[in-house]
Amino acid sequence: MNALGSKLKALTRLRCEIFQTSYNPQNLRTGAKYLRKHLRGPAMVKYYPEVISLSSIAREFPKMGIVDPVEVQRLADVEDKKRRGKGTPKKAKTKADSRRTAKRR
Amino acid sequence: MRNARVIRDMKARDGVLKNEISRRAYLYVARNTTLPPQIRHQAQLQLNTFGKYTRPTTVKNRCSETGRGRGIISEFALCRYQFRLRALAGELNGVHKACCKYLIIALHIHGSR
Repeated sequence: MNALGSKLKALTRLRCEIFQTSYNPQNLRTGAKYLRKHLRGPAMVKYYPEVISLSSIAREFPKMGIVDPVEVQRLADVEDKKRRGKGTPKKAKTKADSRRTAKRR
Repeated sequence: MRNARVIRDMKARDGVLKNEISRRAYLYVARNTTLPPQIRHQAQLQLNTFGKYTRPTTVKNRCSETGRGRGIISEFALCRYQFRLRALAGELNGVHKACCKYLIIALHIHGSR
């Protein structure tokens, strides 16, 4: 039995050598499974199909002079709102200026 | 137009891709019981310094059309309603609506052979 056991051990060691796995007869937690696992990142990144929009093309090739009408309209709207006094509020310089604290009082 | 949640998810996917190898290396050291405890602890502390969007568990499959997080058919990256709409429009290859009529015809052809 003992002879057989040692032979099996040798066999396992040889198998580990051939298939390039770590020889671990005592089943210790060597963390090898974290190295063995396939990387998931490359597949994860591919999940969402690529969307080609006019704005993305304009960003990629600024020399082509492509104008995105949606963006132009948005900027025009922002300007219009500013003119009517409905733009974004100014950043608070001190904590006392912040609208959040003002509201609380 | 992409939903904010989808953009966040894309950020997480990107973070996972960029940090995966170093995270794995630290995981290997931290979980290796044959190494001295102090080194393992150091590795665990390093693991804790990684950001939220570097862990694979933060990634969630969302609908690429609407950004919905539930009822997703992952193979098509669509939620169940968008999947239905696309399938009925014939935009998904190999997908068509189940129908008894087709089943009977198929059985009939099979029987006649």
